[in-house]
Amino acid sequence: MSGGKDRKSKNKTKGWEEAGSEFYQESYPTDLDGAIHKDPSAIATLLPSKQNRFATTRRVRPGQQDTKTSKRRQSSTTVNRRKNSTVRRGSQHNEVQVAMLPDLSENLTDEERIWEEIHEIKSMPVPMAQKKEMKAQLQNATKLRLQGIDQIKWQRRKAWQQLQTKWIEFYTKMELWRNSLKTIEGNFGTGVVAYFLFLRWLMFLNLAIFVLILSFIVIPHIVLQEPTDKDCDSLNEPNSTACCSADYINETTNNDFFILDIIQGTGFMEKTMMFYGFYTNKIFGYNAYVNSSVVEVDSPMYYDLPLAYVSVGAVYLLLSLVAIVKAASREFKDRLVEGEGQFYQYCNLIFGGWDFCIHNEKSANIKHKAIYNEIKGLLQAKRMEFERHNRSKEVMFKLISIRLAVNIFVILILVGAAIVIYLLFSIHIEYLKPTSADSPDTSIFKTLQSIYSLNSSTNEIDASNQPIRENRASADAPIEELMTNLFFEFLPYLAIVFMNLLVPLIFNYLVQFERYSPKFVIKITLLRTVFLRLSSLAVLLSRFYILVSNDLPEGHCYMVRTPMCWETYVGQQFYKLFITDFATHIVVTFFINFPRSLLARHSNKKFVKLIGEQEFELSKHVLDVVYSQTLCWLGSFYAPFLPAIAVVLNFFMFYIKKFACLINSKPSPILYRASRSNSLFMFILLLSFVVAVVPVVYAVAEILPSKSCGPFRGLDSVWEAAITAFMKLPLFFRNIIFFFGTAGFAIPCFVVLTLLLYYYYAVSAANKHMVEVLKNQLVLEGHDKQFLLNRLSAFLKQQQEYQKKMRQPDHHREYRNDRSSRADNSD
Amino acid sequence: MGQAKSQFTEEELQDYEDLTFFSKKEILFAHQKFKKLAPEKVGHNKNAKLSMQKILEYPELRVNPFGDRICKVFSSSNDGDCTFEDFLDMMSVFSEATPKSVKAEHAFRIFDFDGDDMLGLSDLKQVIERLIGDQNRLPESDMKFLIQNILSEADLDDDGALSFPEFEHIVDKSSDFTNSLRIRL
Repeated sequence: MSGGKDRKSKNKTKGWEEAGSEFYQESYPTDLDGAIHKDPSAIATLLPSKQNRFATTRRVRPGQQDTKTSKRRQSSTTVNRRKNSTVRRGSQHNEVQVAMLPDLSENLTDEERIWEEIHEIKSMPVPMAQKKEMKAQLQNATKLRLQGIDQIKWQRRKAWQQLQTKWIEFYTKMELWRNSLKTIEGNFGTGVVAYFLFLRWLMFLNLAIFVLILSFIVIPHIVLQEPTDKDCDSLNEPNSTACCSADYINETTNNDFFILDIIQGTGFMEKTMMFYGFYTNKIFGYNAYVNSSVVEVDSPMYYDLPLAYVSVGAVYLLLSLVAIVKAASREFKDRLVEGEGQFYQYCNLIFGGWDFCIHNEKSANIKHKAIYNEIKGLLQAKRMEFERHNRSKEVMFKLISIRLAVNIFVILILVGAAIVIYLLFSIHIEYLKPTSADSPDTSIFKTLQSIYSLNSSTNEIDASNQPIRENRASADAPIEELMTNLFFEFLPYLAIVFMNLLVPLIFNYLVQFERYSPKFVIKITLLRTVFLRLSSLAVLLSRFYILVSNDLPEGHCYMVRTPMCWETYVGQQFYKLFITDFATHIVVTFFINFPRSLLARHSNKKFVKLIGEQEFELSKHVLDVVYSQTLCWLGSFYAPFLPAIAVVLNFFMFYIKKFACLINSKPSPILYRASRSNSLFMFILLLSFVVAVVPVVYAVAEILPSKSCGPFRGLDSVWEAAITAFMKLPLFFRNIIFFFGTAGFAIPCFVVLTLLLYYYYAVSAANKHMVEVLKNQLVLEGHDKQFLLNRLSAFLKQQQEYQKKMRQPDHHREYRNDRSSRADNSD
Repeated sequence: MGQAKSQFTEEELQDYEDLTFFSKKEILFAHQKFKKLAPEKVGHNKNAKLSMQKILEYPELRVNPFGDRICKVFSSSNDGDCTFEDFLDMMSVFSEATPKSVKAEHAFRIFDFDGDDMLGLSDLKQVIERLIGDQNRLPESDMKFLIQNILSEADLDDDGALSFPEFEHIVDKSSDFTNSLRIRL
């Protein structure tokens, strides 16, 4: 200890009083003597490669050597710093020019350089007092004033940097949930905090989507003057778009059940901007309908709302994709840098295992335990690896058959869940449909009130295919009936949500039999749960699809057995599902898990503890969030305000999850790593994004929009709006775009892309090989060095002994030793 | 905060801002935290030297298995007692904005118990023992096996110890390192 410290401090003081490149030569010899006198084998620690930067602290005025080291350091850190280093290279160039001038000594550097160096002091590992001294010295040093354009450049850089620090300061002050994050981090470590950061990230993503929708759809819709509508000519064309729309709008809505309407999105909510149906198909500034083929342009300025609607939809999906891919690629890059698989798993665990942010005694104990478990697990796995190769065939067979059985069982459960949801949804539709199949009593889908017409509705159905008007008298229906209706209304959603709660428990139980490694257990249960959630969604979607895919009968405004405006209906369903989902989180967290944790805390019985204690299972909570995000993506085309609701609910979700985390759960004995969990989140999010996008794109491209509502009424598909807008472009642009679609463009493009792909593949393969070679070389060099050092220390030892013997008073012995050592040396 | 402000001149703050990864506000905040450890002593002298026991009362350091090592590494008198400037250095290194290389440097010195500029077998063993805590024990054979694994991963020149470049090399490849070596002010 003392030897090392001595040397260090000696180096330190020497190091930075000394100037210029003589640094190494000058400071080492003195050290060498001292160290070698004590212990010849310590020579290895004096090698430059064994020194850390603290020991070889830089001098104040960097010369040739120093810029080299600092440059190396900069390139290994962030991009920002890399930028700095390139700038520096430029300024070095300046310095060379300056140095050529006759009058100036080489030591004289310009202001910019000094300024840069002052900024670099902060990353030096020396005490503050020394840093201060360095800074003072730098400031007092004679320096060259920059002139002309350099001065301006420097000023600009200075201002820019100041702005940056100001912005960072502002940002940290504004950073949402800073304190909450610190508390969570202090109790649960970085892996769990990564989840909350993910939640926040999702909230901002939703916010961005909503801002997009708000500024391009909602605000234009409010601000711009809607063109006058052509009146409905109910005699000649009773089924024109105008008539159908009038029909839809004139349909009475009942406001008697205000709260019910809010949670269901029906009644007064239906005809608001909340849902697709409300938006107009008009082009603002035009004097005609979008669907009539010939459109006269009245004014050069116009706003095509349908086009905006469909392009905003495309843009926010694209935005989400880019955001996910960007975040995921960052994680992916990190994983790649980490090396092939778990290359440095032991070192990572030992040197990065402790979260320095933990500030809670209890969590610290659990963290100790978690690291201990992880170490044991790793060692166990390493040992098991040998065993696995030698596993007997019988055992293998048994294990495989068990796994197969479990997987079949899991699939059965998934299918069963899908069937249950399908049946319940059918019941839901049947129950809410009071009349026989031939009477298209569609309004019932939209308003709960219409259910009360159950008994009397037959009287009200006209011969025509017009939907019945609601029975206002039904508002007086008894409360029990109301509740049953509400129950049936929400039945499929409740079923989905309960399934999402219960089935994962079964999966967790089953996975024990399969004897996977712990890490794989997490992954496979997560994957199964994801499938459960997505399959229930898929059933729901297919049910919708069956509902809306019927052909439109000739001369009717609505399809048989569909709601008047199916888009709004779908939007409402997602809205309902979204709300139900959120409500269950509240219920589960506050009314089930909270009492459980209270029980566990205040009771000492083992059984109660078993029921009551819960861990913060990261994968489950991630799924919750990802699921609601999937709903948001699916629904936001039909309910444009859904992202806004998602933002608000995400905001509250943070607090719910924080409660679940800090109050309900105790830290998990599984070690969650921030990097590992992050890549997991992004993978699941990407998966569900794909699942969400496919149906939306299909619906946009293929399904016939309602005739009575929405921006695309009267068109064959939503996409047609984009195509008509495209057709209005000048011929030149159209030709260019068409050219992209031809083989003349596609084939060369394909070839070039393939070549590029191959090129990058080759480069990466070469790099990989290079890494191997360099690593081998490093090992060889290490051996060489080891060998040389051993020889050197042996030689030094010999010499010391020789000197010792020389100093011995006995002349004879000295002489004899001298001869013998000389003989040794000559060997 | 007003009180804290009066303890520093604008110049000192500017110095601290230039020399750490903190803004002025954060420096004042750090000083508040420092003051909380020993209100009277720091109230008299903003740069008072606090004993290691006092510094270890800081929540994150208290439960940190390497708390005493951290204090020793950052202490300008090398005995674990820290002045505010040492404390500020410490917090600056553990702040979010600090680049990996700086963190690696200090982490290396924290893990280097015997101060020989190498992470030898005894250093690694101590690190592991501290990591798993007092209650948990690894059998001797496991410990050996673990250290052997670590060395086979990281010890490129086969000298049975990790030198700083080797350590920096591992840290460079570890994405968790920056995350875990972080203390929010």
